[in-house]
Amino acid sequence: MQVNLFDFWPRILEATHETLLMVSIALVLATLIGLPLGVALVVTRDNGLMENKIVFNVLNGVVNIFRSIPFIILLVAILPLTRLLVGTSIGTAAATVPLVLFSGPYIARLIESSLLDVNKGVIEAAQSMGATNWQIIYRVLLPEALSTIALNLTIASIGLVGASAMAGFVGGGGLGDLAISYGYQRFETDIMIVTVILLIIIVQAFQAVGNYLSKKLRRL
Amino acid sequence: MINFKNVSKVYEHEGEELVAVNQVNLQVERGEIFGVIGFSGAGKSTLVRLVNQLEKPTDGEVLVDGQDVSSLSAKELRGMRRKISMIFQHFNLLESKTVYHNVAFPLILSGEPKDEIKKRVEEILDFVGLKDRANYYTDQLSGGQKQRVGIARALATSPDILLCDEATSALDPETTQSILELLRRIRDEYNVTILMITHEMNVVKDVCDRVAVMEDGEVIEQGSIFDLFTNPKHQTTHKFIQSVMKDDIPQSILKGIEENNHPRHIYRVTFLREHAGEPVFSRIAKRFNVEVNILYGQILEIQETPFGNLIVELQGEDSEIVKAVHYIEETVSVERVMASAS
Repeated sequence: MQVNLFDFWPRILEATHETLLMVSIALVLATLIGLPLGVALVVTRDNGLMENKIVFNVLNGVVNIFRSIPFIILLVAILPLTRLLVGTSIGTAAATVPLVLFSGPYIARLIESSLLDVNKGVIEAAQSMGATNWQIIYRVLLPEALSTIALNLTIASIGLVGASAMAGFVGGGGLGDLAISYGYQRFETDIMIVTVILLIIIVQAFQAVGNYLSKKLRRL
Repeated sequence: MINFKNVSKVYEHEGEELVAVNQVNLQVERGEIFGVIGFSGAGKSTLVRLVNQLEKPTDGEVLVDGQDVSSLSAKELRGMRRKISMIFQHFNLLESKTVYHNVAFPLILSGEPKDEIKKRVEEILDFVGLKDRANYYTDQLSGGQKQRVGIARALATSPDILLCDEATSALDPETTQSILELLRRIRDEYNVTILMITHEMNVVKDVCDRVAVMEDGEVIEQGSIFDLFTNPKHQTTHKFIQSVMKDDIPQSILKGIEENNHPRHIYRVTFLREHAGEPVFSRIAKRFNVEVNILYGQILEIQETPFGNLIVELQGEDSEIVKAVHYIEETVSVERVMASAS
């Protein structure tokens, strides 16, 4: 039985809303985890500002472990944690928890590489002026890397759009879910095409915003 | 002002020891411009970083104003660093911030009030000649302007000491001169003690009062710039001097010394200090029956004193030439150039 695309429109709008909600909430929460983690990875490494082998190795290991788990497995494996955190294991909110855990460590790595790109000489100059380590982090490292961080978070957010398509497994909804359950599994080709076009538009928009922000943040 | 006492810095890398600075003794006086010259890898970068403790010595002590800097607590060290500024070869400015913010940076770090920062930054930008560039970003500036921002930033906290780490090595000769001129003004107007490291002899020659030559982590020679130029004791020092003043005799002249089995009278005349201005050659030409032919030479100005040497040929009767040479010897140093001189 074919679904009339016109009648189906409200469902598509709802799915778009779900996707944007999942991605943006997950992005914010994952950045809250990934940013301090990325900073910690940079400052505790060899020759870092607060070199600490034990802390670095633990954080590095944890990030690697999370980065190794395929999203679909993570999604199922942490169901008890999800239930504990949001009270339910199905729905959009429930899908956000694994998205955060999936992209937090990824963002940590992106932040780490952005911060490592900051000119070592500028850090040395700040030290020679009597800056504390914290001052170097928030007055040198972060502002100098901000433009690169914006680009890297754009990459992360587009990754989240992709990962959110699998949220259907826990009834998370969203455009990806719609494309799979209607377009792929029920051969509703026109719905699949519409959802994919919407996903393309979302990704294009994210990238455009990311590029714009990155350019703006180059000069503070 | 700055006193190195038997200072050594040894790095350990995978079980191997690398001696970057070896038993260095140096004393830099207040208000002087002291240069440390050496080829790359000589340890001068490490040496200058021992003063503000970006590197910690493994042996000996570095005294700044009588205070052993390696014994300071982290907090005391930060206070001390505000009095010891540093400028860098690659400027090391914040690329995301304006010129104004870069210069204000050390004052922001120490939590100065905004209006005082503004007053100070404007004053310093005016001093380095970048008043109209306050709102530019560093990628809109030339190399020389970037170093001026670096210098302005270093001066913002009114330091007693300015450390210069190859500050002109990334600049063209003309810009180098203008930056050196600025450094001299800083010393003269603010009485800042300057310790600079460089591999360029012309930088040392133009601006330093005293200089130390470093090689393999050791200070092999030190003294006033003039003494070093006129009487270098070490081979490496001589090499550095030759980089700005050719004092070896060209092959073409050495070849022509024996002409028809008859030795020509070729002399090297070295001018020092006050005698450099004397018209020695025109005098001997008048007084004795000799002619003077200048073959080769160079006169430099070191600390506003001319110094140099000339290779001249004296032509005439042997007896007259002997008398003329004696006359020259009374005022300047002279030696006969032999074919075996090389």
